[in-house]
Amino acid sequence: MEEKDLIMKIRDLDISFKTTAGVVHAIRGINIDLERGQTISVVGESGSGKSVTMRAAMGILAKNATVESGTIEFTYKNDNGSMETVDILKKDKKWIRKNINGKRIAMVFQDPMTSLDPTMNIGKQIMEGMRWHYNTSKEEAHKKAVELLKEVGIEDAEKRMKQYPHQLSGGMRQRVVIAIALACDPELLICDEPTTALDVTIQAKIIELIRREQKKRGISVIYITHDLGVVAKVADFVNVMYAGKIVEKGTVNEVFYDPKHPYTWGLLSAMPDLNTDDDRLYTIPGSPPNLLHEVPGDAFAPRNKFALVIDDKKEPPMFKISETHYAATWLLDERAPKVEMPIELKNRLERMKKEAERYGS
Amino acid sequence: MAVDYNSKPLLKVEGLKQYFPISRTFTVKAVEGVSFEIYPGETYGLVGESGSGKSTIGRSVIRLYDPTDGKIIFDGTDISKKLSRGDTKKLRTQMQMIFQDPMSSLNPRKKVEDIIGEGLDIHKNYKNQAERSEKIKAILKKVGLAPEHASRYPHQFSGGQRQRVGIARALIMNPKLIIADECISALDVSIQAQVVNLMKDIQEETGSAYLFIAHDLSMVKYISDRIGVLHLGHLLETGTTDEIFQNPIHPYTKSLLSAIPEPNPMVEKNRVAESYDYKTSGINYNLGVEHHVSGSHYVKCTDEEFEKWTK
Repeated sequence: MEEKDLIMKIRDLDISFKTTAGVVHAIRGINIDLERGQTISVVGESGSGKSVTMRAAMGILAKNATVESGTIEFTYKNDNGSMETVDILKKDKKWIRKNINGKRIAMVFQDPMTSLDPTMNIGKQIMEGMRWHYNTSKEEAHKKAVELLKEVGIEDAEKRMKQYPHQLSGGMRQRVVIAIALACDPELLICDEPTTALDVTIQAKIIELIRREQKKRGISVIYITHDLGVVAKVADFVNVMYAGKIVEKGTVNEVFYDPKHPYTWGLLSAMPDLNTDDDRLYTIPGSPPNLLHEVPGDAFAPRNKFALVIDDKKEPPMFKISETHYAATWLLDERAPKVEMPIELKNRLERMKKEAERYGS
Repeated sequence: MAVDYNSKPLLKVEGLKQYFPISRTFTVKAVEGVSFEIYPGETYGLVGESGSGKSTIGRSVIRLYDPTDGKIIFDGTDISKKLSRGDTKKLRTQMQMIFQDPMSSLNPRKKVEDIIGEGLDIHKNYKNQAERSEKIKAILKKVGLAPEHASRYPHQFSGGQRQRVGIARALIMNPKLIIADECISALDVSIQAQVVNLMKDIQEETGSAYLFIAHDLSMVKYISDRIGVLHLGHLLETGTTDEIFQNPIHPYTKSLLSAIPEPNPMVEKNRVAESYDYKTSGINYNLGVEHHVSGSHYVKCTDEEFEKWTK
């Protein structure tokens, strides 16, 4: 296999949190690959550990977190132009702050009201990173900031520079956050539920903005979201997370048109479908396991109506379906009984494929 | 449950205007002449982006604000003017609200039984403590919580469970109309589905009507019988769910519908959402009048626009 140009390589990441109730084993062995220029997305319910994984990659884990094992290798262009690979988990906070945060990996958070400083004007917040990381002069930083604001679609950029976050609407604020993230020309952009707090119409615009900037700058993007519609729009690769593990991964077409894991089936079925007249929405029964207790076997088994006996005893490995498509469920074992996805979902996927063909032609 | 559209509407809003004077020269016109009806047992969905005035309408209807102009008739009583004592009592029991963020709308220092029972306490709807706790347990069961949850505090629940407490709190007074103000927006997709299903079950059982306020059209489609599309305080288009989804007339409705991302990667990658900008569209909402499309489907626009859009 040829060597891929990986910008980030996460191997066997394992993180736990010390809480008053005990040790919560939040991340239980995660592998993620991200190629340069690609978009991957991490999907899962709240509490599945998707944000924690990305915080680890930024070196901004909470104080009570312990990294039990694993590596996060990040390859970037050094100041002198050569490529360098580091293990972020082995570096100290100060080094990460100076070399990674904001400069090479930037993050867009969910709620633009809490991620912006209410006491600092917009212009200063955009210029902050450039001044800190590159010692850019004030005039130049100002010029660049105005350009960035125009680029992310804010009119009257000069005037906006002097305004404060509370004077802007939610969509405008998120645009400012994106401008800040792009200010230092990062190589990797992590978007943690960037549109969850926004309206659908504004969501569509923000997603298109991120996509446009990515194409223009050739940066890589990691999208954390629970909205499969957003994933379908932006991602090349999908990682489905459940209870601190990746249960299925593959290209977006593989996961959406040919899902193998029962949890992915559930997620896809739970999406409201605009083309049917069903009265009830599908819901996955039960709730995610409490990771305070060690989970024996497959964590999804108690909620899975297709669960096998072995699911309660032994954790399923990642089964290979194709060169890029993997899923962790015993149903893919050759000894397992043949189980098809629910008929409703099958019909829906058929309909989706037909529609896709119509679009393609 | 089939809704009887020939019966008298439960709530009739006529030309509702809600202005907020900010200074002597500046007034925010949040709601600009909105009219709609809700029939008993029906769900009416109000959709629009933030700032369109949908929450304001909900709050004006339940009289958290004093309406500037217009009529609100609830169950045969005009509630838009100064309320008499009896009317207040009727309004405060028979109309209830479910709020967006269950964490900030539930008192963190009260036990769930006291949060749910507050309405009962105020209106003295029980003879003794045993009856009170009986009622609370029955309502907890109805929303899918266990009786032992009654003695817990809000922070001990997950987001979905908390919203169930919010629903139980609204239900205990047996309201005829429940105003659900973005009650699922703060929840995960899978939990949203649970809450929507629960609300449908409850409606089936109690026959109460909902005013369902949301910005997510895909969920609104599942729960609503009829939908009203709101933008900048104007009700632009209203009709049954099918009429709005199958045959949207107003460009704003179209842009809202096209903004919903579909979980279909090959389609979604190539599709660009229709954009709509009021300033450059050349449409003036203030000139629009109601045009009848078909059935209960109405659009607010001028004659020329109507001709152009329906061609």
